[in-house]
Amino acid sequence: MDSEIYLDRNTAVHRLDPRTKIALMVFCFVVPAYYQNPLWVVPVAVLVLLHGLFSRSLGNLRRMRYLMIILGVSSFVLWNLFTKGETRLFGFVYQESLAFSVGRTIMMLTMIAAGMIFLSTTRNEEFVTGLIRLGLPYRVGFAISTALRMVPTIIGSVWMVVEAQKSRGHDLDAGGLVQRIRNHIPLLIPVFVSAMRNTHTFSMALESKAFGAHRTRTYWLDPRLKLADYVVLGLTLVLLAAATGLRIAGYGRIAGLKEF
Amino acid sequence: MWRHTRMVILTALSAAIYAAVLIPFKGIPIIPGVTEPRPANVFPPVFGLMFGPAGAWGAAIGNTIGDIFGGTLGLGTLFGFVGNFYLGFIMYKMWGAVGLVSCRDATPNVNSWRKLAAYGLITITSSVACAVIIAWGLDLVGLVPFAFLAITISLNNSLIALVLGPPLLLVLYPRVKKMGLIWTDLMIPAEVGRGFARHLGAVLMVVGALGGLLAGLGVAIGVHGQQILKFATGNLRGAGTCLSVLPFLALMGVASFMLSGREQFTEE
Repeated sequence: MDSEIYLDRNTAVHRLDPRTKIALMVFCFVVPAYYQNPLWVVPVAVLVLLHGLFSRSLGNLRRMRYLMIILGVSSFVLWNLFTKGETRLFGFVYQESLAFSVGRTIMMLTMIAAGMIFLSTTRNEEFVTGLIRLGLPYRVGFAISTALRMVPTIIGSVWMVVEAQKSRGHDLDAGGLVQRIRNHIPLLIPVFVSAMRNTHTFSMALESKAFGAHRTRTYWLDPRLKLADYVVLGLTLVLLAAATGLRIAGYGRIAGLKEF
Repeated sequence: MWRHTRMVILTALSAAIYAAVLIPFKGIPIIPGVTEPRPANVFPPVFGLMFGPAGAWGAAIGNTIGDIFGGTLGLGTLFGFVGNFYLGFIMYKMWGAVGLVSCRDATPNVNSWRKLAAYGLITITSSVACAVIIAWGLDLVGLVPFAFLAITISLNNSLIALVLGPPLLLVLYPRVKKMGLIWTDLMIPAEVGRGFARHLGAVLMVVGALGGLLAGLGVAIGVHGQQILKFATGNLRGAGTCLSVLPFLALMGVASFMLSGREQFTEE
């Protein structure tokens, strides 16, 4: 797995201020969760897809395709178990629960896509600067962005160790599910130990560049809100206000649905 | 803590490892969008003990990153942030305060029966505290019933941490110690909250966590008609459940200030 999620493209979305991109991501996470009815979730999903299309970052979703397929199928099936309705279709499936499960599945996939589009269009340094400009202490922002960057690296390392062991004849797929999980556990140790060893190198590299030497910092990146940012932020706020208003007015619900 | 570059990197590392193991299991949900089998829950207790505050912040951030990549970001993430923070926080704060770990050797390892017992007690406390915080929050906002979620998260957190935590700690501790990455080797006592009456603090933390679980379950089942491990039963947003758990959450908050962690700064 390539550890770099960011795609270096010169699109209008890439050029936006990181604060605008953070606001867009928050919008994409908040609004789909407002509604139960899939017909109300779909417009937000379409907006996210357009966002990905304009930023030419939809290709990065391939990285998450297996997770998205598994999550989509399991979410679609399981939400029917967790909810009830008034119109039974067959077995445990009600018309209302079926509609709800479709809505929740689209919502989850939309959120995953929004997260990946954000990481595909925002450099790590931009994300940190954006968080700092929003008031987060520098070191906390740095820890968050570093963690985000390390996740694919660690997953990639795990796969590399797994493949190396398989090539030496270690059968990881033997036994049932629990046995398979147990087979993988010893392989995680070298990954973690190597990651912790890298902590030293990383810390030294940072300190040699005077990380934390002074309480106040200057930044090479100096993002400023431009006209395009104000337009996008304005549109986002209007859409958020409208979506919130509609939600409060009771739109987007499924009549007869009983959750939990 | 944030003053130390290595603690900042350890926060990122704990978060990344936690998230990296959480994400693949997002595809096998227990409650879609809320929780799933979490073998990764072995890490917050282990990292909390070894990396102290960096492990606690790492658990909170890692859970949030897991939610972002797993498509489960939502209102629950806020309560998940606090709950997962406590999952790591209670581990290092209570380690030297439960009376089982000697002041002369407070190293965060399970190389004696007394330390193993301390690990078990603190793991159960932190797991239940995390469950009570998240279940209380999600019942309050009307997403998932307390009776179902509190039990699910408590079991999900504690079983895996009790089974896999001790061997993982035994394997990792000597290596991490050799690298000089144990939190007491990186920080100085003056940087850790002084605390007061820490043994009483430990008792209050246990009472807060377990009391919150029992009180919440009692009211959710008895008053609001919820059923353990059963859906579409009872009422959500039950004022009784929320009010009955609230004093225990406050107790956990008070206990957090009473506990210190300074007692672990001992020469080996």
